[in-house]
Amino acid sequence: MLLGTFDLHTFLFVLFALTACLFAAGVLFSSNIVRMAFHLVLSLGSSAGLFFLAGAEFVGAMQLMIYVGGTLVLLVFGVMLTAQHRFLEMRTNAGEWVLSLVVGGALLMVLLQAAFSVSQWNTPNTERSQLAVDESKAATPIGAALAGVRVDKLQQKDAHLRAGMSGYLMPFVIVSMHLLVVLVGAAYLARPRMAVRNPKGGG
Amino acid sequence: MAEFFAQYMPAGVAYTLTALISAALLLGVVGVGALFFIWAERKVAGRIQDRLGPTRTGGKFGWLQSLADGIKLLTKEDIAPADADKTLFRLAPYVSLAPSYAALLALPFADGWVGWEINTAMFFLLAVLGLEVFGVILAGYASGSKWSLFGGMRQAAQVVSYEVPLGMCGVIPVFLCGTMSLTTIGNMQAGWFTNWLIFHDPFTFLVFWVYFTCAVASVNRAPFDLAEAESELVAGFHTEYSGLRWSFFFMAEYNSMLVVSGLAAVAFFGGWNGPVPIFASWKAAGGGWEIVANLAGCINFIMKAVLGVMLMIWVRWTLPRLRIDQVITTCLKYCVPLAAFCFVGALSWQLFDLPSPNDWVPAERAGRAAVREPWARGTTGSTQSSAGTSARLAQGSEVHR
Amino acid sequence: MATANREQIIELDVRTDELLVNMGPQHPSTHGVLRLVLKTDGEIVTHVEPHIGYLHRCAEKIGENLTPRQWIPYTDRMDYLAAMNMNLGWSLCVEKLLQYELPEKARHLRVIIAELGRIASHLVGMGAYGLDLGTFSPFLYAFREREKILNLFEEACGARLTNSYITPGGATADLPPGWLEKCEAFLDQFEPVIAEYHALLTTNAIFIQRTAGIGVMSAEMAIDYGCTGPVLRGSGVDHDLRRDGEERYTEMYDGYAFEVIVQKDGHYPRDHDYPPVPPEAVLGDCWHRFYVRMLEVVQAIDIIRQGIEFYRSAEGDWGHPIKLNTKLPKGEVYLETECPRGQMGFYLVSDGSAIPWRTRARSSCFCNLSVTEELCRGCLLADVPAIVGSLDIVMGEIDR
Repeated sequence: MLLGTFDLHTFLFVLFALTACLFAAGVLFSSNIVRMAFHLVLSLGSSAGLFFLAGAEFVGAMQLMIYVGGTLVLLVFGVMLTAQHRFLEMRTNAGEWVLSLVVGGALLMVLLQAAFSVSQWNTPNTERSQLAVDESKAATPIGAALAGVRVDKLQQKDAHLRAGMSGYLMPFVIVSMHLLVVLVGAAYLARPRMAVRNPKGGG
Repeated sequence: MAEFFAQYMPAGVAYTLTALISAALLLGVVGVGALFFIWAERKVAGRIQDRLGPTRTGGKFGWLQSLADGIKLLTKEDIAPADADKTLFRLAPYVSLAPSYAALLALPFADGWVGWEINTAMFFLLAVLGLEVFGVILAGYASGSKWSLFGGMRQAAQVVSYEVPLGMCGVIPVFLCGTMSLTTIGNMQAGWFTNWLIFHDPFTFLVFWVYFTCAVASVNRAPFDLAEAESELVAGFHTEYSGLRWSFFFMAEYNSMLVVSGLAAVAFFGGWNGPVPIFASWKAAGGGWEIVANLAGCINFIMKAVLGVMLMIWVRWTLPRLRIDQVITTCLKYCVPLAAFCFVGALSWQLFDLPSPNDWVPAERAGRAAVREPWARGTTGSTQSSAGTSARLAQGSEVHR
Repeated sequence: MATANREQIIELDVRTDELLVNMGPQHPSTHGVLRLVLKTDGEIVTHVEPHIGYLHRCAEKIGENLTPRQWIPYTDRMDYLAAMNMNLGWSLCVEKLLQYELPEKARHLRVIIAELGRIASHLVGMGAYGLDLGTFSPFLYAFREREKILNLFEEACGARLTNSYITPGGATADLPPGWLEKCEAFLDQFEPVIAEYHALLTTNAIFIQRTAGIGVMSAEMAIDYGCTGPVLRGSGVDHDLRRDGEERYTEMYDGYAFEVIVQKDGHYPRDHDYPPVPPEAVLGDCWHRFYVRMLEVVQAIDIIRQGIEFYRSAEGDWGHPIKLNTKLPKGEVYLETECPRGQMGFYLVSDGSAIPWRTRARSSCFCNLSVTEELCRGCLLADVPAIVGSLDIVMGEIDR
């Protein structure tokens, strides 16, 4: 009867959640930046798996593409490009630990508070086994809206209410611009400053 | 399939069983695919070069050659260099193989024959394929060899250049069909071969070649095989690997070739729909006939994908390798504007309802190209896909709540 | 503010640590056992240092303990891709010391064999160059044709690679009956095949991108470094020992009509339908060096055809090898010949005995290789095989 209660969905959820946490801790405790990146990849990949489990395939794929694929490759690329030893072997001092604990702890508090304030999440889902068999074959409306199509507005008769069909592309554009600016900035910071004697002798 | 099993056993077990069967089948595709493609590559390369290729192992055509190679690789010693970052060095081949295996999950082999039916399959595939390079970069870094490091760096530089045009090429079929679901994209190209997206308009025809170029770059094949350029970097990122771990990189490469070719087959060449709609009526008949039609479709799809792989093999044995700056130039300077131009062109074609070759085919679809965005046709909700999708959307969200 | 030695902060591009890489002696594209020590800044090569000597076999010292004919097999093993031409160089050098007059028929035999050797050598150079650039198939197409030349060599002398065929006094044997017809059949079959090489390499867009404008060597630089052969002519210097060499050598080519393959007044000799020079190519770059080799192959075919005609109508004997223990007259001689890779010189000092007192070989590849450092400075890592490959070196000849 154990098999009957065995639920792949739960199992995978626990698996992904555990790996995500484990490798997140791995990021914290490794000093080599490439290992950090590797752990981050596994951690973010696991959270992408959580998204897939929740039926948010678009966000999951987005997570894979942007965080795991794009940003991390760029990070590693950047590390290799600027290969300076202080970046390769990072040492964290006590002050930084304290600061990061404060910031991280505060963020955790906010997240926990937010999580427990959602009423649906507090009541147990009785039909979990049913949910497991239901393969999600569709993106949620919010997922489609993120991609730029408001499916919920398609059937809207009133032209005024149908406005905003383009969905939520704007945040994505802003985020991508932000990433671009960060990358340019990182490249700028990576430029070494070298002291050379001015051959002409003067300003 | 899960529903079928659920009639006989508890839901959880049914679901697990389905997952295991799918995974095993896909693993079979990876294994058999790699064996076949390695043999085919040697055979095709041999013929291209006026040689015979393998002739003895396993009979007349040497078709057991890859298996013999596999056994040889199994028996080889697994060496990690002294300077290597041992953990990452050992993990890198798996990191490389896992995404290319995961990509197969969302690739439909026929209508409904897919490991994991997701709505954003196209996006998922492109995202997951982009992850494969991480294994390469890790291998390059962890090997503790300068040649490997060069390979890893080149791979990183290459990935940022081809990902952009590849994504843009992938977006065009998505916009033309109005869905990211590969199953739907494939089904919308049913009918005569004129309904395939590549023949939709001149821009899609052009963009397929851009896609193919970027896809070759994404799977590290000549002329874009810079990360393992044997005349420059000895063997690039896998210089220090031996035995089974080395063969994992190999399997990942061949599997990725199959995936990108399969994606091209679905997105541009009608997927499992043959050039002539022979099995359309069988499929409509349902039951056993439908399975036969799907089997034919599966064979169709695999043939198209294998054709794509053969094209890559042909290219590899013909062209010299590009230089790293030329790869970046090709991808960013030529492929990106071309893809963007095709993107605008294909969408304009759609918007202004310009003629498509399918218009002149005496088909059941009353002379209009089947591939039309539902709301561009002006009859919102009349098509099954749109209404069905929204219905399922609503249903799905309810279930999750 | 304006003090004389004020330090100024300038910002450079993103740069990496310099990496010291050993390319070779075991590396796929160093043509044997060349070792290049590269200093790289990312993909950019800032410094190249060729190291040689991994194939040193004391050939010259051995030559001082053997009679000239006994040393012939050692010359095979210098430039093992053009063994016939090496035999020829040494034989002519010894004949010069002996004041030996060669029969007419032996002269034409030598021209045929030497030019066949040139084709075989350039085929390897061409195929291996494709390999350096990452394309495999032309290499096998080249070897397919080279095999046929080696078959011809085998019929003539019994050996395929290290032939020891041409010896002081002529050759070890006359050409066997029917050989000329086979040779002609080969040439007829081979000539159209060259178009394939041009399609796969010379006019291939990627090939042009990889070679045109890469490793540009000016005529002055080529002369300064003592470059010879196709490397020199690729830079536009009109110099070919078959026309400009010593009389002892050029008289071998008396009566032959051929033009030196070099770009003059902006174009190459136009006696054949050659593919056009792409606009990207700069005189003296890798593409031109490769192109000169390709044209020399066509030209060699012409010369062999003439040689076959001359040989058929020639009077007299095919020459006879000198006796193994022939006493050499006292004196010293030096003779350079135009080998496929450049001017190969042999120097011989005799004290009057049958064994030379001093033998020395002047290597063409050694000088050609010496430009590597200057050509590769500032190029990309992938250009290093492209440049070294375009010099077409054979380590056996450099190290001897």
